Amino acid sequence: MILPRLALRNLLRQRRRTALTLMVVVAGFLALSLAGGFMAQTFQGLSDGAIRGGLGHLQVMAPGGLEGDEAQTLERSLPDGEALAVRLRQDPAVAEVLPRIQFMGLLSSGPKSVAFLGTAVDPALEPKHMACLDSLKDGAKAPGGAGSRWLSADPSAREVILGTGLARSLGASVGSLLTLMSTTRDGALNAVDVEVVGLQDQGLRELNDRVLTVSLATAAQLLDAGPARSRLSVVLKRPGDTAAEQARLQALLPDTIVKPWFELASFYRQVKLLYFAIFGFMGLVLFLVVLLATANTLLMSVMERVREFGVLRAMGLQARQLLSLLQWEGAFLGLAGSLLGLAATLLLRAGLNALHLQMPAPPGTSHGYELDIHLVPAVYLAVALGLQATLQVSALFPGLKAAKLRIVEALRHV
Amino acid sequence: MLELRAITRAYELGGERAGVFGVSLEVPRGCLAVLAGPSGSGKTTLLQLAGLLDSPDEGEVRLDGQSVSSLPEPARCGLRLRRLGFVFQAFNLVPVLTALENAMLPLQLQGLAEGEARRRAGAALDRVGLSDRLHHRPGQLSGGQQQRAAIARALAPDPLLVLADEPTASLDHAHGGPLMDLMAELAAERGTTFLVASHDPAVIARAHRVFRLADGRLVEAP
Repeated sequence: MILPRLALRNLLRQRRRTALTLMVVVAGFLALSLAGGFMAQTFQGLSDGAIRGGLGHLQVMAPGGLEGDEAQTLERSLPDGEALAVRLRQDPAVAEVLPRIQFMGLLSSGPKSVAFLGTAVDPALEPKHMACLDSLKDGAKAPGGAGSRWLSADPSAREVILGTGLARSLGASVGSLLTLMSTTRDGALNAVDVEVVGLQDQGLRELNDRVLTVSLATAAQLLDAGPARSRLSVVLKRPGDTAAEQARLQALLPDTIVKPWFELASFYRQVKLLYFAIFGFMGLVLFLVVLLATANTLLMSVMERVREFGVLRAMGLQARQLLSLLQWEGAFLGLAGSLLGLAATLLLRAGLNALHLQMPAPPGTSHGYELDIHLVPAVYLAVALGLQATLQVSALFPGLKAAKLRIVEALRHV
Repeated sequence: MLELRAITRAYELGGERAGVFGVSLEVPRGCLAVLAGPSGSGKTTLLQLAGLLDSPDEGEVRLDGQSVSSLPEPARCGLRLRRLGFVFQAFNLVPVLTALENAMLPLQLQGLAEGEARRRAGAALDRVGLSDRLHHRPGQLSGGQQQRAAIARALAPDPLLVLADEPTASLDHAHGGPLMDLMAELAAERGTTFLVASHDPAVIARAHRVFRLADGRLVEAP
């Protein structure tokens, strides 16, 4: 244990220099850990948004359900989607099944008609498992959105909730009467009069300009859908089992396609890739800064101790032990830097979260969010291990330099 | 105990050929031998060759009857650790360690348990009269005390041979003489062999054997 003790004493010998080097390591830890916590918040928000935005944990669809637009209404639908939903609700792993119909058509206010993308949902089940009421609450703040409410569970009610952009383009507001037009499964033109009961803000401008939501009963009448459903959104009791349940349910339902939410949430995947690229590059730069700073410190320390190393070698210290000595110094710097960095991260995270800072709306979205940097022990561990490895690498060159010193020359060194 | 046979080690110094050339000498166990001569005569070079810190171009170093100069570096390193001790002109104690920890260092490098190393290092420091300075760092010791701590460090592993390079050069006369008396006592008492490089008359006066060097050659031997 003499080498670790010697390494520790050597670091304490040059307290100021060691402190400066530690500050670099701490800053690296802090930056990477906070960035990791911010990324975790973003990913969590995006995954919640995707799952509670309608995807559920799993989507069950007909074969070909992912092959783009349908030439005919409900062309690639589950023919008896309602019966399948009933069957799936019996599964012990399933919390709920939410059937949906996706359709297109024209929405008319009389003088003006606009194309829409419609989703039909079960008005009673949807608010229990999805975030539809949140988007409705946000839509109520838009012009004409006052008095917004969710769709009535009464199957005879003919109501619609419009995206804020779609309502604006038609000059519609809560209480307006509009006409939905689309084609039935047989290709016949059909229309249903509906009352606007609410506006919704989906968070994405392009969506708000096109989307509307109606009840399954309204869509079934408009499209003559019968029991056919475009997709079933499956909410699992244990979200962590999504991948395993996807495989199990796919085996159980061979005539359908079962997809997990993360394969369908393209925005989530794109943002994740983008963040990994940005923060990965930032991490690389930070690791490089730490590497150079600590290598410089250790190299300076070696140059100042040439004679001392000569004496140690003369006394019988093997060259590899000298290499170990420098590795111990790197190890202590990394350990102390990570511990201090962790303390600084926890403090700064608590401070920043307590400020309830509002972040600006991300590109393509319509509202900001509150900064809530997550506590992610796995990220802290990964950063600590990465920094430790960086410190060990940075100690390698000075260690090799020390180990290669010729003893007689080192003893003469002034 | 120590035998140098026709040792040659040449190097360039300021454009001229320097080093030691064809030196042979023998130092028996328990002897306090001195390599004497002016600066540049080759004393330190010869001491480094005898201490296995450098390799001769020609010739052979024998320790306790065994040829050791051609051994690979790890084996020479092991010999230095277990059978040799070094004392330097500038003391060269490890500045971040106390006197006791400095003396424990070679023992711990040998793999001795901390308790045993502490006991033996404490005894060595006691023998050189530093029992009241065990926990002082080098910066808190006088020059004479530092050199005695260095001798304790060299003696703690109980080596066959201690090599000392100008051990009194950084000390005044009041400390140099007693230091050599101490070495002579230790040689007699423990059978440790000392090979000292020095041009100090006080050191030469206390030697059992004196080898005089001039221009890298042995000009006078006992």
